[in-house]
Amino acid sequence: MQKSGYKNMWVYIEHDGQTATPVGLELCCEIRKLCDAAGDRLYAVILGDLCETEVEKVKGCGIDGLIFVSGTGYEFFNTDAWANAFAVLSRKYKPSAIFVGGTINGRDFAPRFAVQLDTGCTSDAMELAYDPETGDIQFIEPAVGGKIMAVITVPVMRPQIGTIRPGTFRYAPTGAKENIEVIHEEISYDPDAIRCRHIDFLPDEADPEMDIAHADCIVCVGNGLKDSEHLERYRMLAKLLNGKLGCTRPLYDRGILPYKLQIGQSGVMVKTKLYISFGVSGAVNHTAGVDAEVFVAVDRNPDAQIFRYCDYGIVGDMDEICDEMIEQLQAGKA
Amino acid sequence: MAAYNKITPEIAAQLMAVVGEKRFFEGAEIDPNYGHDEMPIYGRHLPEAAVDVETTEEVSEIMKICSANRIPVTCRGAGTGLVGGCVPLAGGLVLCTRRMNRILGYDMDNLVVRLQPGVLLKDLAADALSHGLMYPPDPGEKTATVGGNISTNAGGMRAVKYGVTRDYVLALTVVLADGRVIELGKSVCKTSSGYSLLHLMIGSEGTLGIITEMTLKLIPNPICDVSCLVPFRDVESCIRCVPKIKMANLDPQSIEFMDADIVTSSAAFTGNPIFPETVNNEDVGASVLVTFVGSDEDELDQKMIRLGKIAEEAGALDVLVVATTSNKKAAWSARSSFLTAIEADTKLIDEMDVVVPVDKIPAFLIYIRRLGEEIGIRIRNFGHAGDGNLHIYCCSNALEEGEFKRRVKIIMDKAYSKCAELEGQVSGEHSIGHAKMVYLKESVGEDVFQLMGEIKKVFDPDGILNPGKVCDESLVG
Amino acid sequence: MLKILVCVKQVPDVDLVKMDPETGNLIRTGVPTLTNPLDLNALEAAVQVKERYGGVITLITMGPPTAESTLREGLAVGGDNAILITGRPFGGADTLSTSYTIVKAAEMKGSFDLIFCGKESLDGATGQMASQLAERFDAALISCCFSIDKISGGKIRATRTLETGREIVEATLPCLITVEKDNFYGRLPSLKAYLASKTAEITMYSENDIDGLDHEKIGVPGSGTIVPRIYPPELPEPGQIIRTGSSRSDVGTLLALLTEKGSI
Repeated sequence: MQKSGYKNMWVYIEHDGQTATPVGLELCCEIRKLCDAAGDRLYAVILGDLCETEVEKVKGCGIDGLIFVSGTGYEFFNTDAWANAFAVLSRKYKPSAIFVGGTINGRDFAPRFAVQLDTGCTSDAMELAYDPETGDIQFIEPAVGGKIMAVITVPVMRPQIGTIRPGTFRYAPTGAKENIEVIHEEISYDPDAIRCRHIDFLPDEADPEMDIAHADCIVCVGNGLKDSEHLERYRMLAKLLNGKLGCTRPLYDRGILPYKLQIGQSGVMVKTKLYISFGVSGAVNHTAGVDAEVFVAVDRNPDAQIFRYCDYGIVGDMDEICDEMIEQLQAGKA
Repeated sequence: MAAYNKITPEIAAQLMAVVGEKRFFEGAEIDPNYGHDEMPIYGRHLPEAAVDVETTEEVSEIMKICSANRIPVTCRGAGTGLVGGCVPLAGGLVLCTRRMNRILGYDMDNLVVRLQPGVLLKDLAADALSHGLMYPPDPGEKTATVGGNISTNAGGMRAVKYGVTRDYVLALTVVLADGRVIELGKSVCKTSSGYSLLHLMIGSEGTLGIITEMTLKLIPNPICDVSCLVPFRDVESCIRCVPKIKMANLDPQSIEFMDADIVTSSAAFTGNPIFPETVNNEDVGASVLVTFVGSDEDELDQKMIRLGKIAEEAGALDVLVVATTSNKKAAWSARSSFLTAIEADTKLIDEMDVVVPVDKIPAFLIYIRRLGEEIGIRIRNFGHAGDGNLHIYCCSNALEEGEFKRRVKIIMDKAYSKCAELEGQVSGEHSIGHAKMVYLKESVGEDVFQLMGEIKKVFDPDGILNPGKVCDESLVG
Repeated sequence: MLKILVCVKQVPDVDLVKMDPETGNLIRTGVPTLTNPLDLNALEAAVQVKERYGGVITLITMGPPTAESTLREGLAVGGDNAILITGRPFGGADTLSTSYTIVKAAEMKGSFDLIFCGKESLDGATGQMASQLAERFDAALISCCFSIDKISGGKIRATRTLETGREIVEATLPCLITVEKDNFYGRLPSLKAYLASKTAEITMYSENDIDGLDHEKIGVPGSGTIVPRIYPPELPEPGQIIRTGSSRSDVGTLLALLTEKGSI
């Protein structure tokens, strides 16, 4: 394979017809920088119909071109038509890299077309860098439970494919370019050949407590929590601070709190004004998911890594400190 | 017994001078938890002052001040007791050992560890393990202090094979009521040297002296272990199997009993249903969890095969193996969560910790269940089937507290008489505190109870150490 | 009779893996291994399907010879036979070459109606194996399966857990499935099955035993990705630790600082 024959980078725009999932926009903003470093053009790829105002939003992220794919097979998301479309497009246009938001759907189809194209695929990079010497993208991510950072590359094959978790990069649109190239492709997939069909969707009942991504304040409990009996005080503290309760992965694994409250790279990425952690050790996988204006850490271990990330820290028993906060906050309000 | 004195500002100043300002607490500064243990149903009593001690010398100085002024002193560890043992009934001073939490060193030639009383059980277990050693006593409450374990002679799951806390205490440093410091016991495995004050001190619940340093015996950590879960249709057939397992020379490390109820609660609580509610399409009524240790897998396999035969003859639904690290972890965390799982979904709770001869377990359990139904109190239970020690919880979410206490009193009175009738003991491992004193008296009889009181007087003539506990009736009524 | 394949992996207990501060290499020696927890959920789903619809479960793994214990663990809880792919040339494989190898080895035993695998592994955690295996098996994919509702007439109906709700889907067989743990907690093995699993025969494949295996597509040469460098995470400078001597005044100081900053 001649790497030099592959040029430009693509970002897949996931959408439901009405709105584009934020991760596509976040990726466009970030990959713009990578393209500038590599001297590549940035294309956004949209499958099926997306309303005009949302397309304008995509354009605002500094893209050089848009690829619209139409045809049969795009009525509902399915890995068959999606993987096929990308394989066909990629063979035709030979992009150097394709980025897909690491949503459930994105993670389902991206590795799949990587196999069709016989190329390398990475997931969950936290940082991206362009290496001018090799012309390869460096996908940098925490590995082995966050103990190390690993640099991953696709040294020979093309395109380089990466799925990136929502919230990893910032949506910071630089404005639309003047001449945006627009490409229309018709790639039809026989609807009868779709192997996994959508039958019905039952939306979860909206529970505001489960929506923590943009809460103003988050009280996060970690593995230091003894058991669920001790959880109530943290809920109470969150309430007093007009915030929400979140947790780290071990608490989800222990069955103490639901997945939707898991903060970190493999859970929810949060952006918040005030973040207070209790009994959180501070593994990179977790801290990578926290974007806080003020970061407070409480843990009994003075050497805990979490204190490296905090603005303010208190070394002590998490339950005791939480109770004390509740008491003083209540006294202050009374 | 003569009345106690209050902690005057002068006495407070003396106490503060011993530990310093930061470790002396008065009035609102006192941790409200010092007023109760894990059984708040027995009442809350806050002390007038509290100190966090760090050394034997400090404890000695404190005791000198308190005995000179007749200030009651209640020693407290992590406060995880279940009989009100660390609750300062007469006010006075709470002397807390939580900061005396250092492991002082190992003697690897004699397999001995020296430590301070405030070390938590889980920390000792983990630290010993990192030295390739095991501290055999294994009470369910891992966040208790080891000092508290010694004061109550705690038992735990592994008592079937290894015995109880008492069997692992080699020596203690104790501060007496008047501040004198004594050493009891030596780091040796045998002793035949006069009355064993060491063993009198163990299980004395802080009424005879304050333990400030301990020397404990450890054993090499077993090379491998495996557990078998043996599920049955009903409680009775389950319990009937236990003596047979004990008789089979399998030398299990523990035999734990759990009924369907508690398994369901703990699954909901831990989020991991490791113990099945149905086996081979039949509902499980109760199970025993049997743990073996050994030097290789073949040895354990042979034991399991023999257990399998016994279980089959006893009508077990199956025998399930807990062999992988993940399953062991899940099983352990489920078993350890039983009490907290009960507490989590119960508003009012009271408990008993009787121990009966193993063959009398079914009779007792059936009796107490019927009693619960009759009186209208929900009974939950689990326990150490291998040694006949049963943890029985009276629970209610609907009753008002007064009515709950009234009903529980009826159950307790009857249950303890039943226990006596079956030749059992009042407490297997939670001890007496003030909650069980009346039942202790009934159980041991007037003569023995009086002797206990006489012994207490020898150690503590003014009765300032943990007043109102074990055999001290001075605060009753 | 459904033919079911379950892919499992033995992983190091990542909590116990340490990094050598001198060399920057991972210290894996002496680290205990376990069966990837999510693979056990996948296996449980397969066993439930087998109990309901009848079937034969084949377990497959690629790894060092010690991975045999993971297969035996699976045999004890419902697996019927097992394949271990092992050999130096397979080492260092990424998901592209691992999925290739597993599919080629599985094909030695014919075709499968259902393939189950864990959502991701504890160590690699790419979460890519499922869809890459599905592609190579030419199978439908149902990821994040919450419940398997019905299998009949060459079709499977299932409920998935998505970000905002539950999706009901219907797929044709062959189909690859990854599951959520809710309904698929692993079970304990019966003593009988546990003892039998210890002596059960396991099919061992080296690189020379698999028909039509392209040696360029396995191990490192067959991988699309490489890891040229690892390094310890860079830690920011510690924040301000509040140490005033008591919890009460620590909290007081903190709340004052937060109020000052307008955070509360």
